[in-house]
Amino acid sequence: MKNFLKIKNLSISVDDKCIIKDLNLNINKGEVHALMGPNGCGKSTLSNVLAGKEGYDITNGKISFSGENLLKFSPNERANKGIFLAFQYPVEIPGVTNINFIKTALESNRQYNGLDPLKPGDFLKLIKEKAELLGISDEYLKRQLNVGFSGGEKKRNEALQLMMLEPSLAILDETDSGLDVDAFKIVADAVNSTRGKKNSMLIITHYQRLLERIQPDIVHVFINGSIIESGGPELAEEIDKNGYERFNNA
Amino acid sequence: MAMKDSTMPNFLNIKNFDKSFDDLSSLSQLREEAFLNLKDIGIPSKKFERWKYNDLKNDIRNIEFSLCKTSIKIKKNKLDKFEINEIDYFKKNKNHYLQPLKYLKDEGVVNLNLSYSNLFKVLTIKKDLKKPIIVDIKSEGHGMSFPRILINIYNNVNAEIQFLNRGGLGFINQITEINIGKNSSVKISRLNESSSIHSETFFSNLGRNSEINLKNLSIPKNKSRFQVFNSFIDEYSSAQFKSVSIPYENSKDDFLVHNNHLSSNCKSDVGMRSILGKETESSFQALIDVENKIKNSRADQDCRAILLDEKASMNAKPEMKIYNNDVICKHGTTIGSLNQDHIFYLNSRGLNKFEAEKILLQGIISEYISEDSPLINFLPEKYK
Ligand SMILES: Nc1ncnc2c1ncn2[C@@H]1O[C@H](COP(=O)(O)OP(=O)(O)OP(=O)(O)O)[C@@H](O)[C@H]1O
Ligand SMILES: [Mg+2]
Repeated sequence: MKNFLKIKNLSISVDDKCIIKDLNLNINKGEVHALMGPNGCGKSTLSNVLAGKEGYDITNGKISFSGENLLKFSPNERANKGIFLAFQYPVEIPGVTNINFIKTALESNRQYNGLDPLKPGDFLKLIKEKAELLGISDEYLKRQLNVGFSGGEKKRNEALQLMMLEPSLAILDETDSGLDVDAFKIVADAVNSTRGKKNSMLIITHYQRLLERIQPDIVHVFINGSIIESGGPELAEEIDKNGYERFNNA
Repeated sequence: MAMKDSTMPNFLNIKNFDKSFDDLSSLSQLREEAFLNLKDIGIPSKKFERWKYNDLKNDIRNIEFSLCKTSIKIKKNKLDKFEINEIDYFKKNKNHYLQPLKYLKDEGVVNLNLSYSNLFKVLTIKKDLKKPIIVDIKSEGHGMSFPRILINIYNNVNAEIQFLNRGGLGFINQITEINIGKNSSVKISRLNESSSIHSETFFSNLGRNSEINLKNLSIPKNKSRFQVFNSFIDEYSSAQFKSVSIPYENSKDDFLVHNNHLSSNCKSDVGMRSILGKETESSFQALIDVENKIKNSRADQDCRAILLDEKASMNAKPEMKIYNNDVICKHGTTIGSLNQDHIFYLNSRGLNKFEAEKILLQGIISEYISEDSPLINFLPEKYK
């Protein structure tokens, strides 16, 4: 599908401060886009707005997803329609068991889409399979959601949820940050394996090395709330070598 | 004596009450003594420090002054042997009758119960229990009832007891006392589902190296008060009180927990989790007393209330009377709504508002009521 996600002239403010400025971005089904930009340029703000977080003023523009006006849907409707945000800073939720949470999420998702819940045995088999792929042990499934998880463990857990929920648009907000060398490869390869014709990805990262493992179709350079240049993977290589200097001066 | 309390004339028919208890005459002198205290103190209202959030006097004003039907059933495992006595126990042990006054003399509801107690169960547990004892207290209809439960646990005994408080449309004023011997431990699960105006005063007296662990699930359908007084009679004893309170709409749930560190090297730990929906109210007073000479005490308090509605309210008041430096205290109180970042995280995975709230509240409840707790079956449907 063309223009699976279509962002048109989007401007967003927080507390009267304009963070996203006249942003345009189109992602077709099956495409992987990378978004690179310096700290504070508005990448997480954009991700949060796509996921439906409150507290942002959308002062101008439109977002459509799969042909529908995305902005009219609540966060859970967006999730059930296929949008998944792997958070830069996942929250810790005491008292909620990781595996129960993922099960509830999957059930909500299946119910919304008219599917029967998985049989308990099938669910268990599936989650163990995905967890193993990501190097997550059973113990972490039984623990409270992200509570006391290290930075890297939280990121792996985000990847696990992504793999369980199989979204049609995955937004990865610096999922690679905080992972050690080995974990980085494991998570990147696992995420890359979910790639297909029916799903798209928006990968936010500071590092070109992630894009070596998950090769993007298009790389966007995001400065001060707008995309100022788009190109192929070579753009990421350039940023990796020379930083954002050329773009800042543009 | 001048009548200080306008509710009191109702209670002057003590003779009428006694008629239903011909066999109580040998205790009538003790009952009169409590009654004189009661006349002096009056029924609790907000003017008493311990009752500052609760006006019992006003609440029970319109309750019929007659006895309502209450039963206390003791369910036990066949293999477990322990004694069950009733009023005859106090006839033989007269000095036990007014024992609660030794720890708390100036309390209206205690003196009220001692004046009129109409239902007694005394359990004497001398050996470990294989299974929990269930004490099922049920009331029916209007009117009042004054049950009293005394549990004596011998030395070196491990026991588990479940209390179920249910029913009624009047006023239930209960005393529960547990005397715990040396090296003994008791695990208590208490359910309060009372539909009466309910007041329970709970005393534990802890012997050397003994332990009480009380888990409470309170889902009152009316006004409810649970006050707990733990006395550390000897060293190395510990008391844990963990309560989940989820009052029904238009209900009120009040708590007071007093840990009296009378001996050195004792530990108390008090925690409250309140989930307050539409038109509900709760209060929590946590008191710690540590006298001058007492060494190496540990006293923790922690209260968390979730307000789910604008018309819900919580009063929490931790209070410490600590007269020396040899105490480690941890305390915290948070009152507020659910964490919006948590809700958003759950929403972003597809859970709707209701599901997200449910899973978060279940998480809070599960801190105190674990999956293997007998209380879990009594949780309101939407938190199961
Ligand atoms: N709720 C908020 N209140 C005030 N300022 C905000 C808020 N959210 C974001 N900002 C500001 O908006 C700007 C963009 O923040 P954002 O988190 O989107 O940056 P980012 O591109 O993700 O940065 P990083 O690479 O460090 O993750 C920052 O200057 C930030 O301080
Ligand atoms: Mg960010």
